[in-house]
Amino acid sequence: MGIAATITEPTEGLLFQGKKSVEPILRTENLWKLYRAGKVEVPALRGVNFEVLPGESVAVMGPSGCGKSSLLYVIGGLAQASRGKVLVDGNDLTELSDAARTKLRRHKIGFVFQRFNLLPTLTAKGNIAIAQFIHGDGFDPHRFDVVTQMLGLAGRLHHKPSELSGGEQQRVAIARAIINEPKILLADEPTGNLDSKNSEIVLQMLRQLNKDLGQTIVMITHNPEATTYFHRVVHMRDGIIVDGVPAD
Amino acid sequence: MMGELILRNLLHRPMRTLIGAMGIAVEVALVILIVGLTNGLLTETAKRIEGIGADIMVQPPSASFLFAFGSAPMPIKIGDKLAELKYVKSVAPVLFQFNTSGVEVVYGIDSESFRAVSGGFVFLQGNDLEGPDDILVDDIAAKTKKIQPGQTYRIFDHDWHVAGIVEHGKGSRLFVPLATLQELVGARDKATIFFVKCTRPEHMDDVMENIRHILPGYTVRPLKDYLSLMTSTNIPGLEAFINSMILLAISIGLLVIFLTMYTTVIERTRDIGVLKSLGANHWFVIRALLAESAALCLLGVGAGVGLSYLVRAGFLWKFPTLTILITPEWILRATGIALAGAMLGASYPAWMASRKDAVEALSYD
Repeated sequence: MGIAATITEPTEGLLFQGKKSVEPILRTENLWKLYRAGKVEVPALRGVNFEVLPGESVAVMGPSGCGKSSLLYVIGGLAQASRGKVLVDGNDLTELSDAARTKLRRHKIGFVFQRFNLLPTLTAKGNIAIAQFIHGDGFDPHRFDVVTQMLGLAGRLHHKPSELSGGEQQRVAIARAIINEPKILLADEPTGNLDSKNSEIVLQMLRQLNKDLGQTIVMITHNPEATTYFHRVVHMRDGIIVDGVPAD
Repeated sequence: MMGELILRNLLHRPMRTLIGAMGIAVEVALVILIVGLTNGLLTETAKRIEGIGADIMVQPPSASFLFAFGSAPMPIKIGDKLAELKYVKSVAPVLFQFNTSGVEVVYGIDSESFRAVSGGFVFLQGNDLEGPDDILVDDIAAKTKKIQPGQTYRIFDHDWHVAGIVEHGKGSRLFVPLATLQELVGARDKATIFFVKCTRPEHMDDVMENIRHILPGYTVRPLKDYLSLMTSTNIPGLEAFINSMILLAISIGLLVIFLTMYTTVIERTRDIGVLKSLGANHWFVIRALLAESAALCLLGVGAGVGLSYLVRAGFLWKFPTLTILITPEWILRATGIALAGAMLGASYPAWMASRKDAVEALSYD
């Protein structure tokens, strides 16, 4: 997915539409996640079966404590599944070592968090560039320019997070998440700390990423309005998915 | 990028960085100054002994090369026997007496023989020892003690008349008549050492051989070897003392770095989670923290070297007779010691950071 090529020749529609035969880029099978609280095991996920196709954008909704964040962390390889399978681009995360999951995350996953989670000591530019550094391919100025211009950050790159608004910080976080062209972008309530205006900007940008670049996105949200920006909405309750219907 | 990350992290908490660097600076300065003072005193003493200009020194059996530990067990008549030997030009008996109030060794000399061996003093003021209570003072001691010719100077519970100020570098800083010192310390007709001057330097081995023949068991050394003897390894307990001080200094640096990096890791728990979410592995986290510790350490080393020169200047201003030898070799060694301590101190916090659970780290407040 070369970004320059994508921009000069915008992708028409979504990759997954009308292509049900396409292999899911993300699939979970009977996924369980148990947390220990003293001597008691508390299930956060209770056999989740979930699929996301390449280029699809999916919103995951549900009440607090229903397992949304656990699902995101497990499919992102940040947490280990207790049972079941997690297939990311054909790789079963449950069979990978911690080091291998880290490597897969580095190359295939991008995260956006509710609290932005930018490194406070670095500038906006540094926060984006460090993702490229960790990725291992070094600083790519062309890719960097394209992403930062697309997200409207060109004039704010030399500012530290404390000098940026919440919306700007979240855009920096999105830029950091997509700078290495991950297969999947996972967003954990990315508008949760933003006012309605900035929330809309961020959601539009996520939609633009999906539409223009074919970026696969899985987003957790509490905001029902946010779901209108996504192709499909999945509802969770008590650690399981209760439905999964295409959004309007 | 790693360099920028480290620099920004160090600048983010300038007070913590400053305190950490100062801890290392104290460590480095301690090492450099302790070793510098020890080596400086030993080297300076050895050079002064060499400056006497004799070829051979003769001491009683099992005598220490540390003159402060010497007594006066040799009959002065030995000097006459030595003077009779072939190729011996002159012999100077010297009685050493340690002055505890000034922490220095005073030489009791016979002016004529000492002049014959050493080539004589260079007088800056006054004149040679003439009366029984005369004392000669070298220029450094005179400056430190603010002594002028004609003044009275009291040591060994005796009032001495300052006869002259001489150029430093002829063994001691204070010289008194041999006979008076012998009387004062109850060592009549005794000497601590004999300095021997050969007719030609190439005859030294022959003369030493002859001395060993007539004085079996006596310690006979060429003076040119004295410098190599005056090292910390040859002085009982000194090497252990230096090593203990270095260990103490390392402990300070280690604890400072440990505490600094430990608090850093706790403060940056969320950042570590972020790095892991970006795909940073254990080694990346460890490398970042160790590199930051190394950078902090090098800042401290720079400050420590500066501090060492500052402290040395202060000491030399206050105590001009002191010699503190700061060498590039020991600056490098102190750097290595500080770096090793810093890496050791940072290793646990770095390991702790690398093992942090990413999800827990991301939810850390």
